[in-house]
Amino acid sequence: MTGTVFDIKEMAVHDGPGIRTTVFLKGCPLRCLWCHNPEGLSAAPQLMFKENKCRRCGLCFKPCAHEECKPFGRCVHICPENCLEIAGRRVEAKALAAELKKSAAVLGDTFGGFTFSGGEPLFQPDFLLDLINELSGYNLCIETSGYAKSEIFGSVIDKLDFVIMDIKLYNGALHKKYTGVDNALILENFSYLKASGKPHIIRTPLIPGITDTPENLAAIEKAVGESVWEKLPYNALAGAKYKMLGMEYKL
Amino acid sequence: MLNTTKLYRTIVNKEHHKYRHKVEWDLANEYAKKWLSPAERMADRFERVCREETPVILPCEKIVFMRTVANLPEIFTESEWKEIKSRHYIHELGYMSNLSPNYYDTIAAGLLKKRESADEYGKRAIDNIISLSDRYLAEAKKQGRDDIVEVLTQVPRYPARNFREALQFFRILHYALWLEGNYHNTVGRFDKYMYKYLKADIESGIYTEETALELLEDFFLSFNKDSDIYVGVQQGDNGQSMMLGGMDEEGNEVFNLLSELCLKASCNNKLIDPKINLRVCKNTPADRYTEATKLTKAGLGFPQYSNDDIVIPALESLGYEHNDAVNYTVAACWEFIIPNVGADVANIAAMSYPKAVDTAFHNNLISSETYEDFFEAVKNEIAKETKKIHENIKDLWFVPSPFMNVLMDCDIYNGGKYNNFGIHGTGIATAADSLAAIKKYVYEEKSIDKADYIKAVDENFENSPELLHKLRYESPKLGNNDDFVDSIATRLLDAFADSLEGKINCRGGVYRAGTGSAMYYLWHANEIGASPDGRRDKEPFGTNFSISLFAEVNGPVSVIASMTKQHFSRAINGGPLTLEFHQSLFADDDGIVKVGALVKSFIDRGGHQLQLNTVNLEQMKDAQIHPENHKQLVVRIWGWSAYFVELDKEYQDHVMARQAYRV
Repeated sequence: MTGTVFDIKEMAVHDGPGIRTTVFLKGCPLRCLWCHNPEGLSAAPQLMFKENKCRRCGLCFKPCAHEECKPFGRCVHICPENCLEIAGRRVEAKALAAELKKSAAVLGDTFGGFTFSGGEPLFQPDFLLDLINELSGYNLCIETSGYAKSEIFGSVIDKLDFVIMDIKLYNGALHKKYTGVDNALILENFSYLKASGKPHIIRTPLIPGITDTPENLAAIEKAVGESVWEKLPYNALAGAKYKMLGMEYKL
Repeated sequence: MLNTTKLYRTIVNKEHHKYRHKVEWDLANEYAKKWLSPAERMADRFERVCREETPVILPCEKIVFMRTVANLPEIFTESEWKEIKSRHYIHELGYMSNLSPNYYDTIAAGLLKKRESADEYGKRAIDNIISLSDRYLAEAKKQGRDDIVEVLTQVPRYPARNFREALQFFRILHYALWLEGNYHNTVGRFDKYMYKYLKADIESGIYTEETALELLEDFFLSFNKDSDIYVGVQQGDNGQSMMLGGMDEEGNEVFNLLSELCLKASCNNKLIDPKINLRVCKNTPADRYTEATKLTKAGLGFPQYSNDDIVIPALESLGYEHNDAVNYTVAACWEFIIPNVGADVANIAAMSYPKAVDTAFHNNLISSETYEDFFEAVKNEIAKETKKIHENIKDLWFVPSPFMNVLMDCDIYNGGKYNNFGIHGTGIATAADSLAAIKKYVYEEKSIDKADYIKAVDENFENSPELLHKLRYESPKLGNNDDFVDSIATRLLDAFADSLEGKINCRGGVYRAGTGSAMYYLWHANEIGASPDGRRDKEPFGTNFSISLFAEVNGPVSVIASMTKQHFSRAINGGPLTLEFHQSLFADDDGIVKVGALVKSFIDRGGHQLQLNTVNLEQMKDAQIHPENHKQLVVRIWGWSAYFVELDKEYQDHVMARQAYRV
């Protein structure tokens, strides 16, 4: 089974126990206005351009024969400063697992493991399940919006050691307005998570005027109940990647 | 907390410099006319500067002695130096350096006792120190500082009776070594030899942990009073390295209250001296790494870790006796040396791996039919270079240092118990990455033509951007936990060690291959042009045992996996893997515990030496523009830490170019 991954990051210390390597799966059904990983939204490969390093040499406009460059009309294999990068590569779950396992021993020394993030990792459920099976025995964690069909959500989290899930907005209408989707599925999945007894953390990004309102926080606090709840301060640098992708940051 | 006191501010703001003056004595010509022997000259200069020194006791200062004579006049004329150099190999400045003298016995015996067994020059040196100390005593009496009067009435003449006297005694000895002209005077295993004084004082109720820490902070401050006079290649390169922890002769770990307090004192003072090192091993408990990581968070580049499990057996296999090997400490930077008896010259020369690759690339690539043929050529170049180094170092001579000789257990003029020479190995990542690219593209894929490759490198890739991109950003790099290139680094290190094996140096010792680079990461980089790994002309190498500056690696986990695969038991001169972490990683206790766990993993996996930096690129950028706002910003250079704003720009730029891992 193949899937699309846009990044693998080592040294995550806030995404579950120990030191973790985080795998970012590409594609997300939500469109949160504040998304700080915009390259994770679309399921298709995207060109990322690090403009601040660009010397305007124009070499990347030279026609090339690389298959992967074709959709973009730019060559990504020539930049002297490595300003161009394709976010999103197709990879076999087995091959990816083998790549990840190479450094797993060090992660294990720190009681850490792997975290699946995105995008929305549940957006590629078959690939994710394949990857989870390939990595069974390691400490596995997911960072999810919780937006997925209940059977998918359940089948995935049952196989994991730790779950980090967002509840961004409690009010369904506001949720729809700011993330593009209703939150009924999310709240339903949260109930399942709570009942499952699986160790977990609930996170709320504090977006000024949107999620950090007293009404929203009070409602979430009530819903969260006994679960660990982390409020994440708004990351002012969140918009930086939009320009690299030729996208507009609306916040 | 010390850094709020007036004394701290006086030292940090360099207000005490007003007591300094320079002397303009033409000693060299005077000595030359009288045909004085080198030892006589050293003894005479020491006597004169001791007399010239003015005792200064700052308000509230507990540990006294600071330099008021800011320079040491030369003792040989230029033509005499020329003559000496025509007959001898002279290492660096020609004076004794990077030794770890026997503070322990001296502090326990007193200088009068040491005087009994000293030679004529040693006796003179001791007399001069005692007489300067007596002038400090008189000054203390004048100022009504009864506490200092009591201390200086006892030490350095007689054995220290308590912690404060022991610290003051150390300060006098260390000060005198610098004043004699020795440099890179290390501190050694401080918590091992000083603990008994602290323990007794705590037990008898003279000190609590808090008051002992205050005194220790004052003592640590004393290392920073004169350190600007002790300039190495750059300001901060002064060798005041302190070792904490480590096994004793029975294999038990030494880590006591004093070790803990030293970590805290360094953390509180936030000053670049003394440079804190920590010996660890598989049995070191996880929480010790957490404590040490709190110091890493302070941003001084301390502690630097050394792994007893690797270092001790490796030193033994080089011929060090067990009791000496377990007692190792580090020289100015990271070279392993033996206190009291070792007279190793741990940094005598350096071998450039990329130079060996560059030579083979130009002379042998075309004719090498297989990668193995080519690697053989690289090995030959490494062997040629170390042979050249070996043949070049004949009749090594040091300016005799009578007082240093008093403090060592062996006669260092004629060589100590150990007289081994350490050779640095520079640019291993550049070389391994170059070889990986050659192996992959020339010999396996056959996608790059040999002649084109050489031409592209010689043209600094000006006309081959695609090749440059491929080599720089798409080719295997050391630090990604990729056996393809990691194993090449292993073979290079082995080749270096092999080339030195069996060679006996001019003092009867052996050679030790090292993983350090010292300042050669800039110097050696300028000896060659562009390199086959896509490194452009004039780009520096990484420092010490580190990845290439432009290698895009997955992160520190892969770097650790890559850099613990090599056979360090064969290359044990020292030189750490360096990892840079962004300050944000240490923002909470959880991050600190996890970084500590990563260090433990490195040690448990058989890494030999590790040094972590906490960096903030944004602050460094601002410090280049507004140095006045960042006077206390500390960065690690190669084996020492420095104030960023006091560095030459090329060293600043290198620190900024290193890859920092963020959360």
